[in-house]
Amino acid sequence: MSTSALTQKQPFKLPFSRAFLIWMGFLGVLLVIGLYSAITVFIKGLYITNMSDSVPWGLWITVDLSSIALGSGAFTLSAVVYIFGIKRLQPVIRLAVLVGFAGYTSAMLTLLMDIGRPDRFWHPWVFWNVHSVLWEVTMCITIYLMILLTEFAPVIVEAKFFDKWPKIRRLGHFLHKLTPFLAVLGLLISLLHQSSLGATYGVIKSRPIWFKPSMPIMFVLSAIATGPAVTVAVAYVVEWIIGKRTVPHDVLRIITRFSGVGLLAYGYIKFWDLAAVTYYGRTPGVSSAFALLQEQTPYPFSFWVGEVILGILLPAILFLVPRFSKNPAAAVLGALSAMVGIILHRWNVTVGGLFVPLSYSPGTAYSLPIGRYFPAPIEWGVVILVIGYALTVITLAVRFLPLFEKQEH
Amino acid sequence: MTTQKKKVKKKVVVELTRSDVLKVAAAAVGSIIAAPLLTTGPLSPFGQLKQEQLEGDEQIGHGAVTGDYHWGMVISLDQCIGCEYCMRACCATNDVRADEPWNIVVPEKTSGGATFFLSRPCLHCQNAPCVEVCPVKATYHREDGLVVMDYDRCIGCRYCQVACPYDARQFNWEERNDENPYVPTWGDPEVERRPRGVVEKCTFCIHRIDAGLEKGLVPGVDREATPACVNICPVGARTFGNLKDPNSKVSQLIASNPTLRLRDELGTETSVYYIPPKEGI
Ligand code: SF4
Ligand code: SF4
Repeated sequence: MSTSALTQKQPFKLPFSRAFLIWMGFLGVLLVIGLYSAITVFIKGLYITNMSDSVPWGLWITVDLSSIALGSGAFTLSAVVYIFGIKRLQPVIRLAVLVGFAGYTSAMLTLLMDIGRPDRFWHPWVFWNVHSVLWEVTMCITIYLMILLTEFAPVIVEAKFFDKWPKIRRLGHFLHKLTPFLAVLGLLISLLHQSSLGATYGVIKSRPIWFKPSMPIMFVLSAIATGPAVTVAVAYVVEWIIGKRTVPHDVLRIITRFSGVGLLAYGYIKFWDLAAVTYYGRTPGVSSAFALLQEQTPYPFSFWVGEVILGILLPAILFLVPRFSKNPAAAVLGALSAMVGIILHRWNVTVGGLFVPLSYSPGTAYSLPIGRYFPAPIEWGVVILVIGYALTVITLAVRFLPLFEKQEH
Repeated sequence: MTTQKKKVKKKVVVELTRSDVLKVAAAAVGSIIAAPLLTTGPLSPFGQLKQEQLEGDEQIGHGAVTGDYHWGMVISLDQCIGCEYCMRACCATNDVRADEPWNIVVPEKTSGGATFFLSRPCLHCQNAPCVEVCPVKATYHREDGLVVMDYDRCIGCRYCQVACPYDARQFNWEERNDENPYVPTWGDPEVERRPRGVVEKCTFCIHRIDAGLEKGLVPGVDREATPACVNICPVGARTFGNLKDPNSKVSQLIASNPTLRLRDELGTETSVYYIPPKEGI
């Protein structure tokens, strides 16, 4: 009853099913919890988090890095379609760009919460330090977000709302012509920042867990492998919910297999990295840092079970073994598992690296305390905001934008 | 009808997938090759960064210093008695939080087991990781070699904090309204408290140096132009001055004593030199 009342008020005349309203209500709850946490942080300051001078980066940076990695389906699939010319995958592009957009804006949101002076978020655009990896990452992400928006503009202008604004719609369609060019630019910029995010850690000489040249490669590879699978999972889940085909399944299966191969490549490099760091190229500093992690933290567990088994092996099997790869549920499960793996990897890098205390004293007795950290409830609250935000963006887009057309022939 | 459709579809899928998978694999391999090219090759700022850092030692050296001065400090581990006066004077003069001092003093042991005390200000590295990583140049080199902070520009990302090898940086996690226990016994605040959300660190009492030079005083010689920690040290373990002037006290101490710099192997080129204890480290 209330739904019909609502529909009358709506200019789009779209019926809201009860399930949709319940879902929106759930998202509303997430957003309220999240906004409450975010506002509290803005008012009181970062001291209410569990971050400290010895562990100045924590959960938020992890979420930040993860959402950028999970949004990487957009540039990977755009490149596959427009640069490598595999046009068959075209039907997934709009969804991939949407997921990318949700991921990148989530990252920006988290970053805004994390910096001490959110009022100065624009400083990197004005005051350049070209030597700073973080500056480069900020610029890349900004530019890439604009690319995503341009890529997505044609979809937005197709919404019914723009019936009234034909000029804007024409502009949007004009932008569509730029897509191949944007795909090239997007690929370059994405490869750059996806790997520079690893470099952010890799260049820090004083942190034994971080300082290694493989860091950027691990970041970019894991992102390329996992991002597309996330897009696939979103496609399947949306399909289950709305009960209609979204993207042809054979397309999704190709992408799933691509992800599987990507994960194997990532796993291979990870294996050599592990061998190089802990076996062949050991240095005393690195060895003792790893020993410390092994003794005092669940690092070995989260590395082997989280990063390797959940993040690589299980999804690779689900994506590549024919018996599973035909099954949408297996693809979704695999994508979830790979997501957990990539998030744990970013967490292990960030918090694991900061756990190992710096040692700079020439003497033998003094050592800094070990960096202890577990996120405070308020930090989880902000993460709920980010998740709520990303889900809302995807939900609204699926609901109101022509993401999946040209299906019925 | 539906079954027929399904069948047809299946066939097509099998046929097309193989070539597609090949193409996708080619794409994957392409990306894998492209990634390291972009990250470590000439295209990438990261590549340059690494190069610089690895070559750091001789090349960059005192590159940051372009003026007539290079302010530096010599700390004698042999003389320091661990009284913590420097820490207290610093906290009072710069109005630093007492629980997060800029300048720390800790008991240490040599490899032979003898006790000594290590004190550590910001080392004003000439090849400073904190300067390199700051995305907005809120922390930067002055031409006299000092690594300074622009509190109006800092966005509080804390990258400098994780990058400093010497744990010399503190973040303002909250608005300060603590009482400074060292005021007025150990001195009076000469600079403003830093706002919430920015990083701070030891400045070598830059305000004294600048004001002193304007008056024609010599930092390191005239007390008014010398860092508070150096002035207060009861045993004279700290010496301050111009490393570029061979006749300054610091230069002479470095010339006539064995000295070490903290984690020199990182190539940070610190402006603080330590004279080790007599029996060695
Ligand atoms: S000691 Fe740390 S804060 Fe000071 S200049 Fe060196 S890296 Fe920067
Ligand atoms: S916290 Fe401030 S000074 Fe430090 S790197 Fe970030 S912007 Fe620069």
